[in-house]
Amino acid sequence: MVINNNIWVFSERLGTLAELIAGANELAKQTHGKVSAVVLGSRENAEQAIEMGADNIFWLGELSESQLVEDYVPTLAKLVKDSTPMCIMIGATKRGKAVAGRLAARLGTSVITDIKAFSIESGEFHGTHMIYGGGAIRIEKAKFGTTIITIGQGFFNPKPLDSTIQGNINEISMVEPEKKISLIERKKKETVSVNLASAKKVVCLGRGVSKEEDLDMFREMARLLGAEIGCTRPLSEGLGWLPRELYIGVSGVFIKPDLYISFGVSGQVQHTVGITASKVVVAIDKDENAAIFPQADYGIVADLYKIAPALIDVLRRRT
Amino acid sequence: MNILVCYKLVPDARDIEVKADGTIFLGKAEWNIGQYDLNAVEAGVSLAEQTGGKTIALSIGSSQLINSKARKDILSRGPEELYLVIDDCLEGADTNLTARTIAAVVKKLSDVDLVICGEGSSDLYFQQVGLQVGELLDWPTTNSVTKIEIGDRGLVIERTLEQDVEILDVPLPAVLSVTTDINQPRLPSMKEILRAGKKPVTEWSVSDLTVEGDLENQVEVLSINAPPTVDRKQIMISGSSEEMVGQLISYLSKEGVL
Repeated sequence: MVINNNIWVFSERLGTLAELIAGANELAKQTHGKVSAVVLGSRENAEQAIEMGADNIFWLGELSESQLVEDYVPTLAKLVKDSTPMCIMIGATKRGKAVAGRLAARLGTSVITDIKAFSIESGEFHGTHMIYGGGAIRIEKAKFGTTIITIGQGFFNPKPLDSTIQGNINEISMVEPEKKISLIERKKKETVSVNLASAKKVVCLGRGVSKEEDLDMFREMARLLGAEIGCTRPLSEGLGWLPRELYIGVSGVFIKPDLYISFGVSGQVQHTVGITASKVVVAIDKDENAAIFPQADYGIVADLYKIAPALIDVLRRRT
Repeated sequence: MNILVCYKLVPDARDIEVKADGTIFLGKAEWNIGQYDLNAVEAGVSLAEQTGGKTIALSIGSSQLINSKARKDILSRGPEELYLVIDDCLEGADTNLTARTIAAVVKKLSDVDLVICGEGSSDLYFQQVGLQVGELLDWPTTNSVTKIEIGDRGLVIERTLEQDVEILDVPLPAVLSVTTDINQPRLPSMKEILRAGKKPVTEWSVSDLTVEGDLENQVEVLSINAPPTVDRKQIMISGSSEEMVGQLISYLSKEGVL
């Protein structure tokens, strides 16, 4: 199989597609290749993808009510097999990961998931991602064929739409899957609109917080500080006290605030890998040996139930 | 219904050593069942209880799987049988080789109706293997499964994505990857722990299977290193609660972050 220099992108989300196209353009400059976007959506979406910077569009058409994005995996596999791009970047949503994994199996390869950095070395794609919950970084390359990678939202900055860009739209006919999962119903999930990733101040809660009712005290503190609330994975996923969108760490949100202040966070790497870009880190925990302290600028070894009310008092007096 | 639940032995996070040159040493690590795999096992066992089926556990890998403590551990969680594929060529297997090996086991067993995987391994967390197994077998497959129920013509599942929840009709046989939300894995009872030692364990090497393609990874690992560390001031504040809060406020004011 002869691999060419072209970079492809796919995402079921238009916003992510714009980011990936911007990233693919950076990469294509180094490989001297072209950027193609696989678009599942309206004709207008396909035209927008050109304005986002794609040289070429493979337009799959619009998804019907009863279809799943994943029904297009055989179509995508055929396209990639026929054109053998150097790399296909897929937006790392849960659905994107399902598409990437199934595509990889059809192409006889693996996926390099959740890329945090990449480079082109001697014409090969090298991708960096985290393993051991953020405890190590690993660089990998695909040995054969097209490299399939997934990239999270916000990794690249999208370019403003440019209506002067010219590109081709190729209409692609669907390769019907043989056996498929069928959609019975789709419901909108109740999601919380927060932007933890861009918050300037974050109050982060860990397992040291003993009761769900205590969250109100920290909500009051966050309000006084002008901070967002964040948490460790067990508080959202295990205990369900806070929504998924609020957990910080390797499989959650990466934050970059001026101030991160934690209460009852032990400091396991799975969490702290998500706070390394914070300017000032403050940790409050009763265990003096907690792993969070060596990773903090200011540490207080004490009962958080004594410190939190005292801090709230001072903040109230300041306002 | 015969349900195959997959799990991986992973190094205990506390035993991962970072050497002076930044490389990672796992020589002293204790190997345990991956945390997210426990939800797959529980999903399989509880579905088998409802349907009167059988749960079979499977792991593939290298010499770590010889560890008899981990064997008892998995069998005490409900599966009736355990299959292990132990081979040096599976040391550090990538998702592709892992999936091809699991698919070969499924074909050899010939009577599996459902394969359940966790949402990702707790060491690498690439969240890929279940999906690849499904596609290699040409069986319906999906991820992010948060509920599994018996339907008229297979399974009816709930799949929870970032913004949507889907209810899906999944014909069998199928491969599903479940999230940690699907259940709360039960703790093994004393009775189950005692029974575990008597349950059948079958050991295979890859030569007992027909694995498609070369027994090689498709992705090459070029380097593994510790992430760069951030230098922090590490100032410890002491005193009474009020004094500590006062000092903290003054430090943060000087930093200009209040």
